[in-house]
Formats: sequence, C-alpha cells, structure tokens
Amino acid sequence: MKKMKFVVALCMVLMFLVPAAASARDIAPFESTGWLEKNLKNPKLVIVDVRKPEEYGAGHIPGAVNVFYGSWAIKKGELLNELPADEDLRDVISSVGIEPMSWVVVVGKNAAVPDRWDSTRVAFTLKYAGVDNVAVLDGGYDKWVAEKKPVSKDKVVPKKKAYNGKFNKAIVVNKAYTLGALDKALIVDVRAPEFYKGEKKLGFVAKTGRIKGAVNLPAALLFNPDGTYKDKAGIEAAAKPVVGSDLSREIVVYCDTGKVCTGWWLALADLLGYKNVKVYDGSSMEWMKDAMAPSAP
Amino acid sequence: MGCVFCHKGDAAATDVKAAHDGIVKKPSDNLKLCGMCHKPIAENYGKSLHYTSAGQKHGVAGRFSDAEVKTFDEKVFEKSCRTCHASCGDCHVRSPAVGGISVGLIEGHKYVKKNEGKTCAFCHGGRVYPEYTGEYGGSVDVHYQKGMMCLECHKKEEMHGDGQKYLSKNEVKQRPRCENCHKPGGEAKLTARVSHDKHRGKASCQSCHSSGPYRQCYDCHPTGSKAKAEIFIGRNPRTQKEMTTLRLIPTVRDTFAKAGIKMEHFDKLPNYWDSAVHNIKKRTERTRNCDTCHVDKKDFLTRDRLIPNGSKANEGLVYELKPIPISR
Repeated sequence: MKKMKFVVALCMVLMFLVPAAASARDIAPFESTGWLEKNLKNPKLVIVDVRKPEEYGAGHIPGAVNVFYGSWAIKKGELLNELPADEDLRDVISSVGIEPMSWVVVVGKNAAVPDRWDSTRVAFTLKYAGVDNVAVLDGGYDKWVAEKKPVSKDKVVPKKKAYNGKFNKAIVVNKAYTLGALDKALIVDVRAPEFYKGEKKLGFVAKTGRIKGAVNLPAALLFNPDGTYKDKAGIEAAAKPVVGSDLSREIVVYCDTGKVCTGWWLALADLLGYKNVKVYDGSSMEWMKDAMAPSAP
Repeated sequence: MGCVFCHKGDAAATDVKAAHDGIVKKPSDNLKLCGMCHKPIAENYGKSLHYTSAGQKHGVAGRFSDAEVKTFDEKVFEKSCRTCHASCGDCHVRSPAVGGISVGLIEGHKYVKKNEGKTCAFCHGGRVYPEYTGEYGGSVDVHYQKGMMCLECHKKEEMHGDGQKYLSKNEVKQRPRCENCHKPGGEAKLTARVSHDKHRGKASCQSCHSSGPYRQCYDCHPTGSKAKAEIFIGRNPRTQKEMTTLRLIPTVRDTFAKAGIKMEHFDKLPNYWDSAVHNIKKRTERTRNCDTCHVDKKDFLTRDRLIPNGSKANEGLVYELKPIPISR
C-alpha cells in the first residue's frame, strides 16, 4: 500500500514537473556560432535561414532550411512588418517541420544594421506562435562564414509536420491597447535618440516625435562594436537605468514599423526575464498618422 | 580560352591602342560565336522571343497602320526595344542597358549559368521579380516562400526557344500553368475543390490568388512613366470569357509621337492586358470570403477606374459580375 502511495505521489510530482520543464528555456535568445556548430546534429534543432532563396542557394549553414523573411512578416494595408494570419503562419511553421518543443535558431544577415532585425522579428514571431526555444544566431551568417565554419549549397528539403503550438497573442498589442496602457505601462521607444527627440523621421512616418510618455532605449545599445550582441551583463546595464528592475512591470516596446523593437523584446523578455513585455507592431508608422494619438514633443 | 578568343584585339601588342585594335565589345551579339560550342542552344536562341523581341513589336503593332508599322520598325523598334533584347552575354555575363542603365557584371566576368536574382531580374526586375519576392511592397509569392526560383516553373526552352519563331509569348506551348503542378481534383479541402470547379473557365487562378496590389505603369514615354501599386480585375482581353488580373500597359496616344506615329488604330487594342502576376498566396481575401468579389467587387476594373483618354477597347474589359451574396 505504501509503495502504491509512493508511486501515485511520484506520478503527481511528475505531472507538475513535465509541463514546467516543457515551457522552460533550453537555449539562450542570442546563441553563438560556436554553440550552433556544436549542436548541428541535435535532433531538436531547426535552423531557419531567413535570407533570400538566392542567398541561401549560394551557401548556408549545413542543415538549415530556408524561409525568407517575407514569409514571416507581411504588409497589411499601409503597415509594414505585420503578422500573417494565424493559419498562414501555421502553414509556414509546419512547412519546415518546427514543433512547439523544437529548438529554433534564426539565421540572417548581420553586416548591415537594418538586416539584423529580420532575425529578431522572425524569432519574435515564432515566440508569438508558441515556440519557446527560439534563438537568433549572434553575428548571423556573416560571422559563421568569417569564422570559416562549414557551409553547404545543398538545398534542404524540410519534412512537413502539422504545427499545433498555442499562440501567445498577448505579446502583440495594437494602437487601441497602447492608448489604454499609456498611464500604466512603460512605453519604450527603441529608435535612435534623434528620432525619439523628434529631430528626424523616416519618410513613411507621418510626423516627427514619439508616443507621449515613452522612454528611450535605443536598439544600438544591444550591440558590441563588432556587431555581435553584448553579453547579459552588458544588455542589463543598458536596460536597467531605463526600464527599471521590476520584472513584473508591463512594458510596451515600439519603433517605426514594429521590426527593430523585437530586438529589445527578445532581450527584455527572454534574456533578462521581464515577464510582461509586449510589442506594439503598428509603431510610429500607425501612431503618428492618428492626430488623436498623443505624441511628444 | 583567352580574352581574344571572344573579344579579338591583339594579345601580343605592347601598347593599349594596338591591343584594342579590332576589339569586339559584345562578342555574344554574334550567336555563331557561342554556337561554336553550344550549337543547338544558339540555333534555337536566334529564333526565341528573348532574342527577336517579337513580342514587343507585335504587341503594339495592332495599333498601327501599315505605314506606321514600317516607321515603328525603323525608328523605334531597332533603336529602342531591340537594344536590350538580348545576346547570350546580356543574361549570362552582364546586365543589358535598360533605360540606358546597366548594373554591370553578374559575377566578375564569369559566364553564370543561372542566378535568377540576376540573370532574370536584371531585365524582369521592374515588375515581376520584386512582386515575386515581396520587395515591391506586397507579400512574398508563396512559391518564393518555398524557395522556388524562376527556372523551377519557366523551363530552359522558354529562355532559349524551342526552335520555333513566335510572335508573342502567348503562342509558346511550354509556358508554365498552375495546373501543371496543382492538379484539379487534388485539393485537400472540399471547399477548395468546389471553389475551383465553380470558377474553372470563369476566373483565372490569379484573379483569386493574387495577394495584393502589383505594379501598374502609367504614361509611357512622353512625360516619363509613373508606377503605382493597384489591382485590376476584369475581362481577359484575349479570351473575353474569363475574369483575370489585368496590368496596365502604358502605351498612351502620344507614346510614339516623337517618331511621327499617331497610332491610327489606337482604339483597336485595350490598355489593360491579362497578366500572370507573381504575388500568389494560398489564402487571400478573395479565397477567404466570396463576397469580396460577388458583393463588394473589390478591385474590379470599373469605368471610373479606366485611365483618362485611354483606348475605347478598355470598356469591354469591365466585368459586370452578377451579385451573388455567398458569405461564409
């Protein structure tokens, strides 16, 4: 009888432990080329190369599948970098055999700063779709090649698997939500200071300025001079003076189109452990068009 | 093979002038040179649409009187259209000058067999290619999303010709068709199968599966053309039977005025032509909701949307779809 009770108790403990382990993070949000090389044969690993098919065809990390950036972020109306419809996103994820428990490493270009956000936006989109273990390859394909690591020209034909992950809808917010959150959430503008201060704007943004009350945490602070990500301590040192130490505080990050801000989303939510970070993906492109949406200066 | 094999000149000369004496700048303009090694390809290629540019010539010729056809051939076709179409090297070594601008060599001076982002996009990079990759501001085509490049649908015979002379690409039998891969009746979902059955012969695949606006060019030549992203869905001018995606071909009444061509039969041909647009998606607002076409008639070509002072033939492309509300 005692043995029976022990087995039941053990089963109950395991029942609680398994989901906890399932949702735990097994890989870091910014993984190194060295780590990836060591894990190339890991059966859980799916390497997603988001460069153009012609770039992928010219050479890629062995085993990497190619799903071009434009499959993950689309134009909706006038807004750039929006999420595809859930069923379309499921199709994309299924087509390369990603499962909720997969370890996904997103590989993009790194030399030009604007290209770096392709990877973070795709990583964020996978998190939105319910994949827990997603990383961006630190330094991207450029660093992999510079380090003379193995490359392949053989196109990988992925094995399709029906994707049944649970979407994390709460990590993306719209304009109405952001308007309602102005008084309670910390709104974080990740653009360069001159954009935050209203001295500059991109052509497709209606007017200069920032969301009223926003603080500035420039995306450039994520990087070392060589284009790799700073380590956790370096990123924490940049973030804490701006967003504080309260890990439960609601934070809404934004930029111009909802792409660049995903870099800080990954860093805050996945690296530093802030538990309530959201992306406003309409960002300045949508906000500044609305005369009723409060802005500064 | 050394440089002089193709480019001539004098490899033994010791000064620049003598070395360049008799040099041939674009040796592959002479197909016989390439044909020394690639005989069947070069022979076919000489008759292909890429080489003859016959499609451009015959596409517009219907607007001309006999005398104007002659003037067009002499003053426009040979001096303008023909200049970028297309020696072997124009596709495999260096971009031709399109609108006077060449983007240079593909990969040093290598003969590149295929690299569609360059070998095709150098010329088809204005409309088709950026639509396909989503870089024109829409959504990436589902085939590009799956890593498919031009040559996976467009076969070598389309590029190099099959030995027949054609007047238009519409005569070419090897052109890709959606149904070559997507066999009717093979749909996984019943709703898709029924939709395809109901629309077969009435609407082209792309009229429902085009994911969004594609490039339309306005006002060709006299004042400089302008481009806008729009969708036009209307009657296919070639079949008159089915609806399809139309593209504005920007020949306006005075396009060839400088060459002294009035286009006496301008109104015989429309300004909008059927276009197999390259921004295909499995699901679009049309596949998701029948009312998009059957009630809202979204993006249909209407009389109000026709270009001002366009061809009278344009009116025949306006499709009066009967309202059939079938919300789902």
